[in-house]
Amino acid sequence: MGTDFILGAVATSVKWGDMLFYLVLFIVLIALLKHFAWGPVNEMMDKRANKIANDIDSAEDARQKAEDLAEKRQSALKESHVEASQIIERAKKNGEQQKNIIVENAHSEAQSFKETAKQDIARERQDALEGVKNDVAELSLEIASKVISKNLQLDDQKALIDSYIEGLGKQNEVK
Amino acid sequence: MNEGAYVQEIFGIPFNISNDLPGLLAAIIVFFTMFWLSRKIQLKPTGRQNVLEWIIDFTNGIIKSTMPNKEGSQFGLLIFTLFSFIFVSNQLGLMLQVNVNNTAYIKSPTADAMTTMTLAFMVLLFAHFLGVKKFGFRGYIKNTYLSPIPFLLPISILEEFTNFLTLALRLYGNIYSGEVLLKLIYEFGRSFGLASFIPAIPLEIIWQGFSVFIGSIQAYVFVTLTMVYISQKIEKE
Repeated sequence: MGTDFILGAVATSVKWGDMLFYLVLFIVLIALLKHFAWGPVNEMMDKRANKIANDIDSAEDARQKAEDLAEKRQSALKESHVEASQIIERAKKNGEQQKNIIVENAHSEAQSFKETAKQDIARERQDALEGVKNDVAELSLEIASKVISKNLQLDDQKALIDSYIEGLGKQNEVK
Repeated sequence: MNEGAYVQEIFGIPFNISNDLPGLLAAIIVFFTMFWLSRKIQLKPTGRQNVLEWIIDFTNGIIKSTMPNKEGSQFGLLIFTLFSFIFVSNQLGLMLQVNVNNTAYIKSPTADAMTTMTLAFMVLLFAHFLGVKKFGFRGYIKNTYLSPIPFLLPISILEEFTNFLTLALRLYGNIYSGEVLLKLIYEFGRSFGLASFIPAIPLEIIWQGFSVFIGSIQAYVFVTLTMVYISQKIEKE
């Protein structure tokens, strides 16, 4: 070897076939490596890089979504609290109203019962008084006729007797 | 050291078989290693795929250090192949040397200037091609030879040749000298029988270890400089 290659001083002894050989060898090696090793691995590395980027993005998305959901739930909970207290309030009011109505009804019913009872009593008393009045009138008449043995006309004397009895009644009431 | 080379002429073209054969072997080793590492590619990398991805990350890192922008990523395959081929070539001669009748058949392919010059010539030609492709021929001339100052033109032209020679001869010199010393220690071990054989063993081991280190560094330097030359051609100064 030695000085052979220096600037091609001895051109004929340069094994320039080697140059061709290594050129071809290297190009073939590049092609083979590209097809069998570099290509698939690089593709996979790119795919992985993409996947990682996507995963990061989707994780961010999921986090955002979860946050939104939590917020929504929180507000729904608050709303339901308000609603529940409203419902209770309304129920209370309704109950109060109902109670008032019932009590009022009972009151008025009792009042009317009392009223009718009073009226009944009054009427009965009136009837009884009336009956007694008649009886007394007849009785007094009978007694009077028997006492004075004189045939008195019932109709003529009735006013007198009535006034008399009225006086009796008044005396009784005063008593 | 001065083994004869087995030269074969095919269609009148002289082929140095004792240089071509180890190159072929190195290429085969690189290919089958990478082929084996790249089986069962999965989204979630395991075992061998991790190794391959680590190598790819390493070579991509070399590109990124000189070309941080997106443009650099297109050279990933070139740098990956170049690095793995030179790395395997540098280590091949440390593990395996086959001489038959004083003719070398297996050694480091990069211990031959023909090989390293081919590689350097190839990447520099590629760099110039990229420069022309990007700026057009006039832009390429202006960018490469007339900037920053036109009167440095002779030096710029000279620089292209020195770039080529230093890139090629640095690798060749390092690996060739490593192999020469390996053979020297081997000769020394043989020369005085057992008295020299025993001290030669640790010497050889130490020098082999150092050569592994040098081979790795030189592979790294070669691809780094390749990227530097390419970036010089396609970036405006």
